[in-house]
Amino acid sequence: MGHTATPEAQSGGLTATEHRLANGLRVVLSEDHLTPVAAVCLWYDVGSRHEVKGRTGLAHLFEHLMFQGSNSVKGTGHFELVQGAGGSPNGTTSFERTNYFETMPAHQLELALWLEADRMGSLLVALDEEGLENQRDVVKNERRQRYDNVPYGTAFEKLTALSYPDGHPYHHTPIGSMADLDAASLEDARAFFRTYYAPNNAVLSIVGDIDPEQTLAWVEKYFGSIPAHDGKPEPRDGSLPDTIGEQLREVVEENVPARAMMAAYRLPTDGTRECDAADLALTVLGGGESSRLYNRLVRRDRTAVAAGFGLLRLAGAPSLGWLDVKTSGDVEVPVIEAAVDEELARFATDGPTAEEMERAQAQLEREWLDRLGTVAGRADELCRYAVLFGDPQLAFTAVQRVLAVTAEEVQEVAKARLRPDNRAVLVYEPVADEADDAEAPATDENEESAQ
Amino acid sequence: MTELASMEFHPQPQAGEARPWAFPAPERGKLDNGLTVLRCHRPGQQVIAVEVLLDTPLDAEPKGLDGIATIMARALSEGTDKHTAEEFAAELERCGATLDAYADHPGIRVSLEVPVSRLPKALGLLADALRAPAFDDAEVERLVRNRLDEIPHELANPSRRAAKELSKELFPAASRMSRPRQGTEDTVAGIDSAGVRAFYERHVRPATSTVVVVGDLTGVDLDALLGDTLGAWTGSPAQPRPVPPVTADDTGRVVIVDRPGAVQTQLLIGRIGPDRHDRVWPAQVLGTYCLGGTLTSRLDKVLREEKGYTYGVRAFGQVMRSAPDGTGAAMLAISGSVDTPNTGPALDDLWKVLRGVAGEGLTDAERDFAVQNLVGVAPLKYETAASVANTLADQVEQHLPDDYQAKLYQQLAATGTVEATAAAVSAFPVDRLVTILVGDAAAIREPVEALGIGEVTVVAAE
Repeated sequence: MGHTATPEAQSGGLTATEHRLANGLRVVLSEDHLTPVAAVCLWYDVGSRHEVKGRTGLAHLFEHLMFQGSNSVKGTGHFELVQGAGGSPNGTTSFERTNYFETMPAHQLELALWLEADRMGSLLVALDEEGLENQRDVVKNERRQRYDNVPYGTAFEKLTALSYPDGHPYHHTPIGSMADLDAASLEDARAFFRTYYAPNNAVLSIVGDIDPEQTLAWVEKYFGSIPAHDGKPEPRDGSLPDTIGEQLREVVEENVPARAMMAAYRLPTDGTRECDAADLALTVLGGGESSRLYNRLVRRDRTAVAAGFGLLRLAGAPSLGWLDVKTSGDVEVPVIEAAVDEELARFATDGPTAEEMERAQAQLEREWLDRLGTVAGRADELCRYAVLFGDPQLAFTAVQRVLAVTAEEVQEVAKARLRPDNRAVLVYEPVADEADDAEAPATDENEESAQ
Repeated sequence: MTELASMEFHPQPQAGEARPWAFPAPERGKLDNGLTVLRCHRPGQQVIAVEVLLDTPLDAEPKGLDGIATIMARALSEGTDKHTAEEFAAELERCGATLDAYADHPGIRVSLEVPVSRLPKALGLLADALRAPAFDDAEVERLVRNRLDEIPHELANPSRRAAKELSKELFPAASRMSRPRQGTEDTVAGIDSAGVRAFYERHVRPATSTVVVVGDLTGVDLDALLGDTLGAWTGSPAQPRPVPPVTADDTGRVVIVDRPGAVQTQLLIGRIGPDRHDRVWPAQVLGTYCLGGTLTSRLDKVLREEKGYTYGVRAFGQVMRSAPDGTGAAMLAISGSVDTPNTGPALDDLWKVLRGVAGEGLTDAERDFAVQNLVGVAPLKYETAASVANTLADQVEQHLPDDYQAKLYQQLAATGTVEATAAAVSAFPVDRLVTILVGDAAAIREPVEALGIGEVTVVAAE
């Protein structure tokens, strides 16, 4: 059946095998018999970066349509069948991919495979105007709920637009604009499916209490006859110079509860050692409650109510180091900015202490243990490394790579990248009412989900 | 204009043979200092979850000092007899650990998560925090100021603003439950380190506390470890506090919290009802799920998947506080947000759905689906140590036996459609629901009044 088995890699007792169907579908299997559950995860190599001007939000809207039925599944049957089997389904869309996943009781694994194959091969049989109109309204309400109706809600969208120039594939976020959501047509959705939803543009991972031989036979049975499709256009090039070269800035006057300074620093792309070094730098500077910025702004100066750094890892464009500081009381933004710049400059000059490195590496190690501690998390990471970097085994060695980074490398990336002339800054100045707007910063806004 | 697919189709596969799974039974013990210990070995779970329950209910807070339990909970990790606040945070993170503490009506929960390799060190820090917190003046003052800074952010958040208003409406003014869990600007401003220390000395002691430890404990001598750490915590014996009865006014009415220009209306529709001590609980869980557990439940079937008014509306039951004698209560509520122009039509449909359940009842198919999902997802829901520890701690906090969750699954499977319908109808009676709407009063007031779901009042958001 055309499998190209690869040798098992081993890390932390976790192993995975790789296979490929004749139609190009890549399959990754990983056994774990501790709990009678199995996670199925399917990554399609399409995200908001593949969208074209005037059709922002289409990848995410389309993800919703994947839950509206296919040849053998009526209406919301995908959710009903999975949940009725004791499973938990969902899908999410980010800049770089769209994923669909269900965690099942192990004895219901075959159902999940049948369902995923049915929509991969036959979504257009069921896709109709009524479903599109309905999900268009649902997605517009998702946008209102998560972005437009909460304080600071559109910060991520604004900073992303500042950080990546107009026309860049990452200039807009996955949720898209209201106008573009309104403009999306049934023909757009059909063309999107025909272009991107093909077995050779996807990776399927199955993790948990599985029998690999039986599982592969099911995969072949259900997915094997879905025709491959070529002709997917390459996404527009997302590469940019290493640094921005100037400080970009936008002041937002809105009815928010407090002043805020948010910033996005341009950082190395995901999959590089420099990106892991940047992760450690941001953790030392702004992760948790013993970080340099937290100690400075929240504990000592008492100028901020919250202060932290997050990393948005991106493989097809520079990653973003995400700073979020909400001010305390009447403190003005320049006070915050001066302190941030001082701490970042000091860090670039001195580098992390040995103890800071130990703490940051321990934090990132636990985060990896958490992510790999569930079958669903493991399945998602296997897909991520397979789709973005061509090798699922890298998921199991990711933590070792973070632990191998040296203090010098952390200092180097900080010196090169965490500079005022390599960031986009968003300043919030509260104004009394007029209309809308408001909260929810954070780093997980880079994806939208179906439920 | 349909499109043919060229793949080969197969009939829907049948399920294989289910493999046995049961909610884990903890082992219960007590340390010499009176601390109750529940432990549970979960193979493969390398991140250990530790939950500590302190018997510091919010109704124990001194009058006028609402929020002192929250400040105390936060202050536990801001320095000890061995470490300053900054050092303590650094030591915890050096273990790769996270430590969270929050105060709710039944008491304070302190949650530690740490890789098993660093469990001994982290348990030592946790023990220090409980046994010898510094409550340094400057640190407490900082926490108070920080808390005061947080309040405007919470009030600006539609769902949190709605929750605050519902509590105020439902519970009598004299009840602690009517007021924000973490205090108001007035009450928090009056909190200082002396008050925090007095609250600690009065209410925190091992004899009224419980620790739950869950994870892969292979090769861990937990008895020795606990003896060296939490075993060093001392305190006088004390009787558990009596639990005051919970009462609420669920006269059907509507309160609009005005947010001019809001593009959506946040809905929170609730009342109180039976907790887990009541025999109706399993039926109430099923009925509530059928009503609004997921996007194929009755509410979302109409409001989301037919009308597109919302990203999703959920119905839920959440225990507020339980007593050993069964006099506790749960919040029963429906929440979600709908776009402003469709607020009236959405509420109209929501009430139609409730009347439909009361009129025609739930179907056997709905009941079966709910059971299959709620029972079937258990092995995945409880895959991590943290989720198991959390449920075990909930059971202790709610005065339930350690095998409660395991038995609940059997009870759900044994509950029929008629019971589930009856429970759903009495959980959400159409004329006894308090509706909070956080949205643009000028746009939504009239259409909501026209529905006749209760008297409508408008309050300012601030």
